This record gives sequence, C-alpha cells and structure tokens, in this order.
Amino acid sequence: MIQTILSRIGWFLLLISLQVFVLNHIHMLGYATPMPYVYFLLILPNNLSRWVWVALGFFLGLIIDVFTNTPGVASASLCATGLLVPFLLKTFTPTDKEEEVFIPSSRTLGRMRFLSFAALSSLVNTTLYFVIELFSFYNWASLLIGIVGSWVLTLLFIIALESLRSAAKKK
Amino acid sequence: MHNLLDFLRKYNYVFLFLLLEIASFVLLFRFNNFQGSVWFTSANAVVASINGVYGDVVAYLNLQTVNRDLTQRNIVLQQQVEQLRLALDRAGHDSTYTEQRIAEILSEYQMIPARVVSNTSRGTNNYLVIDQGEKQGVRPEMGVVGGGGVVGIVYLVEANHSLVIPVTNNKSSISCRVRGQNYHGFLQWDGGSFRRAHVDDVPRYAEAKVGEVIETSGYSSMFPPGIFVGRVRKVSNSPDGQSYRLEVSLGTDFSNIRDVSVIATPHKAELDSLYHRADLNMPAE
Repeated sequence: MIQTILSRIGWFLLLISLQVFVLNHIHMLGYATPMPYVYFLLILPNNLSRWVWVALGFFLGLIIDVFTNTPGVASASLCATGLLVPFLLKTFTPTDKEEEVFIPSSRTLGRMRFLSFAALSSLVNTTLYFVIELFSFYNWASLLIGIVGSWVLTLLFIIALESLRSAAKKK
Repeated sequence: MHNLLDFLRKYNYVFLFLLLEIASFVLLFRFNNFQGSVWFTSANAVVASINGVYGDVVAYLNLQTVNRDLTQRNIVLQQQVEQLRLALDRAGHDSTYTEQRIAEILSEYQMIPARVVSNTSRGTNNYLVIDQGEKQGVRPEMGVVGGGGVVGIVYLVEANHSLVIPVTNNKSSISCRVRGQNYHGFLQWDGGSFRRAHVDDVPRYAEAKVGEVIETSGYSSMFPPGIFVGRVRKVSNSPDGQSYRLEVSLGTDFSNIRDVSVIATPHKAELDSLYHRADLNMPAE
C-alpha cells in the first residue's frame, strides 16, 4: 500500500519535472507542446472513487499551471479530463476484467485498447487545454494545429513512458 | 431526503468536478488578462444592453426637462453671440482716415460710445435714438459724432436712451467752415438725399472750391473745431444772392448708421471754442 502511494508520488513528481523542465520548452510548429502529464491519470487503479480522479487532475493541473504561468488552464482541462477518464477506462476495459481490480497498462488492457484509451484521454485534455488557453475560435487554424500537434506529441511520450514502465515491470 | 443524500453521495464527483472547475476558471479569469477581459466584456455586454434599455427609457422620460433646459440655454447663448458680435464689430472695424482724425481731435474729450437703436425718417423731420442716456452721462446739447464725421446733437435725454437731432433734420444747424479758412456758415439740410446738405451764408470772398473739406468751426460749444462734416460738392449762389451756398456731400451715411459717440465734455468744448475765437481775434504776430 505504502509502496503504491510512493510510486504514485514518484510518478507525480516525475511527470511534473518532465513537463516543467523539458517539455514546456518544446513548441513544435509554434504551438504543439507535448503534455504527457495526463499519463498520471491513466495509470490509476480502476477501483478508485471517481472524485479522486477529479481531485488529482485538478491538483496536478494546478501545479503545472503554477510552473507554466497559465493559472487555471491546465487545472480546468485536467480536472475535466479526470471526470472522463474513469468512464473511458470502463469503456475500454475488456469484459473479462470488469470485476477485477487492476492498474491500466498495455499489459492489463491490451496494447491497442490502452493506446485508444490514452489517445482519447489525451485528445480530450489537449483540446480542452487549447480551447481554454486561446479562449476563442477566431484563430481556428492555429487552434487546430495546437490541438493535433500536441496530441500526437503527447501520445508519443505516453507510448514511450508506457514502454518504459512495462519494461521495468518485466524485470 | 434519503434519496437526495443518496443522489449527492452517488454523484459527489460531479459536484467536486464543478467546484474545482469553478476554482480553475476563477484562477483563469483572475490571473490571465486576455481570458479575464473576454469574460468581463461578454459578461458586461448583457449588463450593458439591459442598462442601455433602462437608460433609453429614462432619457425619454427626461426629454421634456432636457428640452426646456436646452431652449433656455439656447436663448442665453443667442444673447451671448449677439453681444459678442457687437463687441467684435466695434473691435474689428477698420478705422478710416476721417475716423482717425476725429479720434485725434477728440482724444482729450470724454466720449460715450453709443449705438443707434432707432433711425426715424419722417420726411425732413428725422431723429436718431441712441442707447445711452442720462445714467451714462449724456445730456442735451451734446454733440454726437460717428465714423464718418458729425452726426448730430442730443436733444432729449431719458434714463438710458437719448434722442439725437441729426444733420439730416431741417431744424439742425451746425456751425461749419471750410478747412483752412475761417469763414463759417451753417450746415443745413432741407430734405432730399441723406448724403447731401448745404452750408449757407458763406461770404462771396471766401475761396471755396469743389472737393474741399467742410469741418466744424468751433463756434458752438457742442463740437470742438475741426471735426469732419463732408466735402464741397458744388458751389452755387444763395437764394438771396448775397452769399455762396456750398453743397456738401456728407461724410456720414445717415441711412446706414450704427455706432456713434457722444462728446461728453461740454465745458471742454466750450473752452476750446473760447480759445479758438480768442486766437482768431488776436492772430499771432
């Protein structure tokens, strides 16, 4: 139990540090910034109460916001993502695992299911993030570039993190 | 009640979500200028449109008062414009040579500037009314001059207005001379053009020529000597054949006279006349 909590805290700090020190400085095409911190919400056990996702999403977003000088943007988008993630997780859970308690991963869910789950979750997060940040649909082209670019980059980082995690698990 | 609590318990995450989203958006609008400005403008657009309708109604109901105020203001402003226009007229008027000369002669006299408010012409019995009277120091028998020269003599005085007998009245008789000569006659007018008068009783040996200047002689206490009256237009014989009659083109246009001055120092004029006559009688060696 303590180990689980410690590993959660470790992921929490790792993702924040990665975002704050590295990824926030990436602006591909001028807009696209990878935001793999949403990965933290993807690897929470499926038996948690839904409010935990919401609350953790908010706090993670809040800390990201503090470091990126975007008060409210990441917290609002990640909080909303936290509301949807359990629902998406339930959708992608294979029928034979519905009764079990598990931590979502490419191993427990299956590679494609986990990828789809991660893709949809991060799409929701990046879309909300950019809509809230730009706060207008006037520059819809740049909005679209930001959303799609960030989404793809985020997904690449999530795949990398996931492969790292599963490799660590195998050892 | 139980159901409500169940409902709240079941959907606690939704309420938490709403709460945290509200917190996020408060942060968003509080600390981000752009999003904050969008929020405030869009939020205010609704308020502003309601306020606009309310303001329109109030403005409509107030129109009567506003209208009355505006009318009053308009009247005040019109009066102001008129006063300023008069002041401008007086200030911006180009002075002619005659005016300059008259001003020179009259510089030692106290002048009361006045304005012709009524210009009656009843055949040969014409009068002018000026807007200065007893309160301003105008007294009967004072001379009145204008930009073109002699105008007339104050006849009746009221508190704030005075009646002037102009040169173009057949009762008017002003002592005049030809400039440079001392022979004098009396300027008279017997109807006809407002721009012409005549000087009778000029001795035959006076050498008056057409175009010479007729000015006041100083033989009366009303005008100091040397004020322009007009120019000789024609020299002819008097009806009695004993003397010349000089027809004079008057310097003052009596059909279009506005600004005049009353010579308000009769004693000075009297003294000047005395000195003048003394000089004539005792010519310098």
